[in-house]
Amino acid sequence: MRMFLWNLLLALAWTVSTGQFTVANLLVGLVLGYFILLFAGRAIGYSSYFSKVPQVVAFALFYFGQLILANLRVAYDVVTPTHYMQPGVIAIPLDAHTDAEITLLANLITLTPGTLALDLSADRSVLYVHAMYINNCDVEEARRQIKEGLERRVLELLR
Amino acid sequence: MNLDDITLLEGAVMLGLVMTGLAMFLAFFRLVRGPSLPDRVVALDLIGIIAVGVIAAYDILTEQPVLLDAATVVALVAFLGTVAFARYVERRQQDE
Amino acid sequence: MNDVVTAVLIVVGGAFMLLAGVGIVRMPDLFMRMQAATKAATLGAGCMLMAVAVHFGELTVVTRALLVTAFVFLTAPVAAHMIARAAYSVGTPLWKGTIADEFRCENDRVGQSAGETSTAQRANPAAREK
Repeated sequence: MRMFLWNLLLALAWTVSTGQFTVANLLVGLVLGYFILLFAGRAIGYSSYFSKVPQVVAFALFYFGQLILANLRVAYDVVTPTHYMQPGVIAIPLDAHTDAEITLLANLITLTPGTLALDLSADRSVLYVHAMYINNCDVEEARRQIKEGLERRVLELLR
Repeated sequence: MNLDDITLLEGAVMLGLVMTGLAMFLAFFRLVRGPSLPDRVVALDLIGIIAVGVIAAYDILTEQPVLLDAATVVALVAFLGTVAFARYVERRQQDE
Repeated sequence: MNDVVTAVLIVVGGAFMLLAGVGIVRMPDLFMRMQAATKAATLGAGCMLMAVAVHFGELTVVTRALLVTAFVFLTAPVAAHMIARAAYSVGTPLWKGTIADEFRCENDRVGQSAGETSTAQRANPAAREK
């Protein structure tokens, strides 16, 4: 967190010294500041911030791609006359324990078209998800896709 | 307005407004028709989100960035309304 | 250049919203209506707000557009989740093509007043007409 503040400070210094206070320039400043801090790491001590930032960016790109793909799949189903979906409510055993992990996972699942978080069991170990595309009625496969795809990445990000 | 004078941007914004208007009509159809109360709540939520889009498009057409504040308020009210309705649906069931 | 990006974003956003509108009318049951409608519309609103940000390009406008976008993307799943849970607990019927309902098998729902027929039907979703 402190590293992020340093990064922001460097970005502000960059915008002030170049004299253009725009969003694009602020972004340039943030990227430059990140690399400056990375190279200065030996002097000021390493921090988990440096490995977190590429992870966050990679996850954001992955999730955005998934979002577009899933939207197009649902869109195709909406526009064409036949219904291709095989919906069902499936139970997903959770590896996530804390409130933050479960909240983030449930929100990300709900934001992706085709899956919708319904409820959390009372002991907070199972998440019930309404999925629209369970291919070939294979519930295990759909469960595995969510667990391996989204949950693993969310946990990697937060832990 | 003369058709030759429309720029690419204006045309795109008008096309967007037509599409959002059509979407709002369809959502309104579901709001009137919806067989159950949750269906109507979903339609109302959708209308709120579409209204944010309409305001954004209108923003560009009129060159008035101030309207973004209106979009914030609409998004806020739509969210609170939906949550309140969801609570109401659950409570109504328990009271019966 | 900015105008082209804005135009594309607006048209794409409008198309997503139209899809949401068609989806909410065409889909057979409540949950799939939510899948088709809420999320596509959220993405559409995000696209249109980004178009505003690109078009004006000033810091004050861009920050506000980003704020509204973040707000919409944060609240949409929460709202969807709340309606879905409420609707499920009052016994909204699932589509006849639904192939699995593991929630039903493991939990008794809050809404008992839905009656015996609903419970019996839900145990065998595939055999049930909507």
